[in-house]
Amino acid sequence: MKTILNGIFKENPVLVLLLGLCSTLAVTTKFENAYLMGICVIIVLVFSNITVSLIKKIVPKNVEVPVYILIIATFVTILELLLEHYVKPLYDVLGIYLPLIVVNCIVLGRALSVASKSNIRTSFKDAIGVGLGYTFVLMIIALFREVFGNNRLTLMSSISNLTGYKAVYKVFEDNTLFPMQILTTPAGAFLTLGLLIALFNFIKGGKKRESR
Amino acid sequence: MKFNILKGPFVKSKNSTHKIMNNLLIALIPIILFSFYKNGIVLYLNDKTDLYGMFYPLIFVFIGTITTFIVETLYAYIFLKKRKNELINYIKNSFSLIPGLFVSLVLPLNTPLEILVFGCFVATIIGKMIYGGFGKNIFNPALIGCLFVVSTYSSIINTNGGYINKYELDTIGSATPLTNVKLQEGIGSYETLVEPYGTLEDFFFGMVPGSVGETCSFLIILAFFYLMFKRVIKWKIPVIYVGTVFIMTYIIGSINDFGIWYPLFHILSGGLLFGAVFMATDPVTSPTTSVGQIIYALFLGILTVLFRFNTSAPEGVLTSILTMNMFVMLLDKIGSSSKIAIDKIIIPLLICIALIVGISINIGNKYNKEQTDTNFNIIEKTDNYYIATQKGNGGPIKAKLYITNAKITNIEILEHNETPSYYKLVEDSNYINKLINNQENIEEVDTVSGATISSSALKKLVNNVLTDMER
Repeated sequence: MKTILNGIFKENPVLVLLLGLCSTLAVTTKFENAYLMGICVIIVLVFSNITVSLIKKIVPKNVEVPVYILIIATFVTILELLLEHYVKPLYDVLGIYLPLIVVNCIVLGRALSVASKSNIRTSFKDAIGVGLGYTFVLMIIALFREVFGNNRLTLMSSISNLTGYKAVYKVFEDNTLFPMQILTTPAGAFLTLGLLIALFNFIKGGKKRESR
Repeated sequence: MKFNILKGPFVKSKNSTHKIMNNLLIALIPIILFSFYKNGIVLYLNDKTDLYGMFYPLIFVFIGTITTFIVETLYAYIFLKKRKNELINYIKNSFSLIPGLFVSLVLPLNTPLEILVFGCFVATIIGKMIYGGFGKNIFNPALIGCLFVVSTYSSIINTNGGYINKYELDTIGSATPLTNVKLQEGIGSYETLVEPYGTLEDFFFGMVPGSVGETCSFLIILAFFYLMFKRVIKWKIPVIYVGTVFIMTYIIGSINDFGIWYPLFHILSGGLLFGAVFMATDPVTSPTTSVGQIIYALFLGILTVLFRFNTSAPEGVLTSILTMNMFVMLLDKIGSSSKIAIDKIIIPLLICIALIVGISINIGNKYNKEQTDTNFNIIEKTDNYYIATQKGNGGPIKAKLYITNAKITNIEILEHNETPSYYKLVEDSNYINKLINNQENIEEVDTVSGATISSSALKKLVNNVLTDMER
């Protein structure tokens, strides 16, 4: 449990380690995309962490990065092909960001820093924790950006053929302040991320100040 | 061992920060009063508005100013946990009125009040407090607020009237001078750029559309001299900034055979003077060394010209000041080296000069070329006929024009790819004969409604052949 919480708060991949920013900024225009992306990253992260942890003793140090990349790419490709066949709507939604999980620094970073040094149990827990941390941050950013930038909240829309459940809400009544166009642009993504990091550090700093 | 970190600047002068800010306010009062006259009293005297509308400019500025004050006080109370005497002390030293004042002076008057309040909120929180408060911000807080509002709500502001007050809507039209520049085909001329707004004197005394504080160049220049003699602002930045823009637009103008009015027009219109005097010289976010100031101002000028001519946005002052704010620390590092090092000071200056000359010649030539029609091609040319093409809707229209005594007597269309149904409209309306009969004043021939592109292409073809014959 401690390892999982560690991944969510103390070593949050986006807010503390600042990894995987590309996908964080790109897919957070819709709430739905954010959590779907998060789930995919968790799946890849879990499998790659376990595999890396299994073979850590037979991989020579000087070729570990290419080997790990190969493992990650394998799992991403498997996931991609499976999704394309069984869950086509999800595959269409994620588009280019699905294959790009390969170069998502979080996955390689966890493989190098945790999975290649610890046993299967720890690396599995670590993968779950970090994946959840990533997903939560994505969801918060997407919530903020979609609600204030588009005046809309998409809980489930493009995969509703699959689940038979559709939920898209309008949040505010018509007014002049919202929707705030800038939040839907990349600049707005940076702004939101920056503010979130500031808030996170403020809360963390507050705890430190009290403990002193 | 314990270290104390003190806030700069450390050089002592008679000017305390309070005096500086008071002088700034004194310099701004005439500008606000002028705006009250132009956007309030003139409207009231012409029966365009009621009493509330007359005082609206003052209310607008007051609300902006008070918002940043309230927001910052609340922030200090909640997040910084200041209480009672500490809070009063904090308020005295943080100058929370200034960003709101500038936000309301830079935004257009027709901005809805809730958007103004929101802009001031962003200016204080994102532009100032997050960086650590007064003296620690990298970017000019007021400009951050304005950029946020302009980039987010420009459509709402424009539907609300934009920069134009009700009196100007009747007398002048619906565009500010710089928006008008963007509406021109090519670079424009004195008749299209200056005359819709009167003369250059009107620009100088501020009777042109614009935001609340920026229009009256005369008062801004007076404020500049006042602040300069009170040693509040660094004179190098405004002078070099405006000078750079003057030189660059002068080169651009002279390539296109314009007189001295063209650079003057660019300096007097828009927020250039206001930005140069009040925004670029902000004591916190501008360089402190003189070499740094010179390079800062040179690049401000270059960026402003680039933004004005090469982007779709009409005004470049706001964005260029924010861009250069990023490099202030670097410029100060260049400027603070104790001896004049050639590679550190001369080379940046040379690069600036090369950029100034190169960019302005490039922009000038670009507009100079655009005056000839690139869609027009002469294929064959004899004394009796021209064969030429002009780009229409579906591709080039090829035509043979018969000529007797420097006049077109007949037009024969050889090839065209226009949509048949549209082209039939052109044929049915006897348009080609109209063109031939009215070739003396070809501009007055109306295009065929329903087939505007095809018919205007034909018109341009005839016009181009006529101008070619005159040569």
